[in-house]
Amino acid sequence: MKLRVGVIGSGSFGRAIAVAAERNEQDTLLWSRGDLTMPGAIRTTTKLADLRERELIFIAVPAPHVSDLATELGKEVDGRHQIVHVSRGLVGPELKPITSVFAERTACRRLGALAGPLVADALAQGRPGGAIIGTAFPELANLVRTAIGGPALRIYESEDVVGVQFASATVGLLTVMIGFAQARGTDPGTLAVLATRGMVEVSRIGEGFGAERSTFMGLSGLGDLVAAVAGDERPEFRFGQALEAGASLQEAVEQVGAHVEGADVGRHLILHAERLGIETPISSIFRAVLDGEMTTEEAITALMQRPIGKE
Amino acid sequence: MFTRFLSEKPLQLPRLRPYVPRPSDPSIFWFNSERKDIVDEVTRRICADHQQDRSRLEIALNDAAYHEIRRLERQRDEEARDRLGYWRSMIRRIGKMNDAEQRRVLNTIVAGMARDVAGNFDPRVYGFARKVVPKMIGAVMEPSKLAEELLSTAPTALDRVLLVEGDIEHIRALQPEGSLVFVPTHSSNLDSIVLSHALEVSGLPPVIYGAGKNLFTNPIISFFMHNLGAYRVDRRIQVRLYKDVLTTFSQVMIERGYHSLFFPGGTRSRSGMIERQVKLGLLGSAVQAFTSNRVRRVDRPVWFVPTTINYGLVLEAETLIKDWLTEEGKARYIIEDDEFSRIDRWIAFFRKVVGMRGACIIRFGEPIDPFGNRVDPEGRSLSPAGTPIDAGGYVEHRGRPVIDPTRDAAYTRALGEVLSERYEHDTILMSTQVVAHVLYRHLVQAAPELDLFSRLRLRGEISVERSALQVELGHTHDRLLELQKKGKVRVSEMVRDDSPEQLLDHALAFWNGYHTSAAASVHAGHITVSDPALILYYQNRLVPFAEDIADEDDLPAARQIARMGLHP
Repeated sequence: MKLRVGVIGSGSFGRAIAVAAERNEQDTLLWSRGDLTMPGAIRTTTKLADLRERELIFIAVPAPHVSDLATELGKEVDGRHQIVHVSRGLVGPELKPITSVFAERTACRRLGALAGPLVADALAQGRPGGAIIGTAFPELANLVRTAIGGPALRIYESEDVVGVQFASATVGLLTVMIGFAQARGTDPGTLAVLATRGMVEVSRIGEGFGAERSTFMGLSGLGDLVAAVAGDERPEFRFGQALEAGASLQEAVEQVGAHVEGADVGRHLILHAERLGIETPISSIFRAVLDGEMTTEEAITALMQRPIGKE
Repeated sequence: MFTRFLSEKPLQLPRLRPYVPRPSDPSIFWFNSERKDIVDEVTRRICADHQQDRSRLEIALNDAAYHEIRRLERQRDEEARDRLGYWRSMIRRIGKMNDAEQRRVLNTIVAGMARDVAGNFDPRVYGFARKVVPKMIGAVMEPSKLAEELLSTAPTALDRVLLVEGDIEHIRALQPEGSLVFVPTHSSNLDSIVLSHALEVSGLPPVIYGAGKNLFTNPIISFFMHNLGAYRVDRRIQVRLYKDVLTTFSQVMIERGYHSLFFPGGTRSRSGMIERQVKLGLLGSAVQAFTSNRVRRVDRPVWFVPTTINYGLVLEAETLIKDWLTEEGKARYIIEDDEFSRIDRWIAFFRKVVGMRGACIIRFGEPIDPFGNRVDPEGRSLSPAGTPIDAGGYVEHRGRPVIDPTRDAAYTRALGEVLSERYEHDTILMSTQVVAHVLYRHLVQAAPELDLFSRLRLRGEISVERSALQVELGHTHDRLLELQKKGKVRVSEMVRDDSPEQLLDHALAFWNGYHTSAAASVHAGHITVSDPALILYYQNRLVPFAEDIADEDDLPAARQIARMGLHP
């Protein structure tokens, strides 16, 4: 029996998921705001109500649109539907995981987050890769594997739903920093220290939200960061480079020409950590650099002079 | 010996003919006629679950013998003398038993546990309890009005002290259509007594509930507990099979339409904080009861009623906070020597609260289904958009309802999170808690560099001028009322209507004269924090709201307080 797959969002990721599901011979329906033609047997629609008969729904829209979408979709779905999102963001200043937004605004409970070094082009073309799904429901992980997994895509599973989403979102912040530092000509060794200690730092914040530290060292955290640094064309990386070149935040966003999830998340994350007194030297100093309170040289000096402890 | 006898064979009234329930009787009236059948069903399910796999069966038997030997060796009492030999002999024989022998031993162990757990329901005791017990408590509160209390039909002193809130009609409408599971916050061993009374005066059905076996050692409490449907939970038993018996018993009862009560926090809140972590065992049994009925096509839904029990004065406050503060105490799951076990403390407590209107407020929250959705009075689950949805869809896999314990465990964890949010939303803040919070904030401000334990050593060292405290209390009061308007907190009528001066007076009156040490005292126009631990206990209810009710100057202290909620 074919799995009835729905995909919401017609950006590169949404289209790639639809193509992968169709390649796996699933009954695939892609929702987009405007009319769209897709190859093969993929059907398209502009009505959310058409998703009612879907069993598994992928959400591939940027985090700022998630709340409105969830409210609208909430009118059409119920407890039978299983939902998985691929956004690398968190919602609002309270840093709400996207699965929580869907739990609040829809009747769906079987929710998950697909994350890790998943690249839209590779997924669409069936090139080898891997990803991780954070869900408390193994049946959802299995449906996702049925929908888009296969010999070319290994989908691992984690019960740490919050951790997978926090790791995925905070990689955006670290990618901006590394893009900035690399453009500044920082040595690879320094970049490695920045990446590793930065990951420890964001995992400390994630822990406060119920995430597990070890998740940050897996595919959704360090794995995704390696992909970003290795050059998978992540907008956050280009955003960091643009900032280093002297662009303002607004100009950098315009230069990148895409939504930069990491920029929104980063600012809220730093404010949250400072409010709770969580130690986040790298992020806080980076914020000071962005806000013009420190030069890059002063920032490096400040970081290097911090007391050293055990790893 | 008598204690053991009571906990194993609680007293029952003789009956010549079995009671035949009437159709209008609540479901619990059927319990005695179904008791054997329920015990057999529990035994059958657990045995069936273990019989598929010999190694699993063998592990279960070894686990039972190992933990029981350890427990009885520690106990060194009469029960140990009787039972230790059986388990020691069994653990030697398990490996040599054939399949049939192992199954027979399993059946004997499980059936014995199930019989021990299952309670009793006597309609005569129920009738007596509902009429007389509130009057007796009223008489303890006001001994001078003993005759009046016992003979009058007017509301008892207990009714004046206890206020019940919530959409009772809504809950009442649901009761004939499915199984209601009341899931309250837990602060005191008085909770099940006051909650049973609240159900009675609200026209809600009596419920079955688990009660610690230690409560059965008092002959009077044991008699009532046992004959009012309480099932016995022996928390000393660490055997995996015993836990299975408890959850399966609860599941079978809920499947059969018995309204239930359990405390998801598992034990009384030691810190005084609103429960944020719930135990999933019994909660899971209710979720699985829903699934099981759906798979068997039995149309008997399960609904949860999140309930908060709010006290201005907590009977066991001193013991509970002391327990929370000591590392040793954290592991002390069963407290047998607290105020609940001392009749003089009961009398002192009831006499103290008699003049306090609304000293205990029970709030029945909005009913929800096992998946956290609101439910309308017809029993239909509602999506967040307000559309009726079929709750059965949650247990379907590719169009068919299926049993899936992993999935149901995930639903249970999510339900636990919903409950903790509902507790925060439905907790009613009392005058003692608000005053304690402001005093504790002062304590933090006075010693911001100290850790919790060093701060609690500042007995009698921190004083605030009464007039300054009232001003501060006024600001906090205003902020609380603003938050109440936004639907973020609930405050008691007393907190809502009283002036800061009255609030302070009421809190001091509540504390002084009941607790063995005064929480705060008044000297020369100053209020002194006399017992920081008690102040901490009462203020802890406000931890989730600390930042929202603080002025700019108080914010650093409020943040320190709020952080306690992150690591309960």
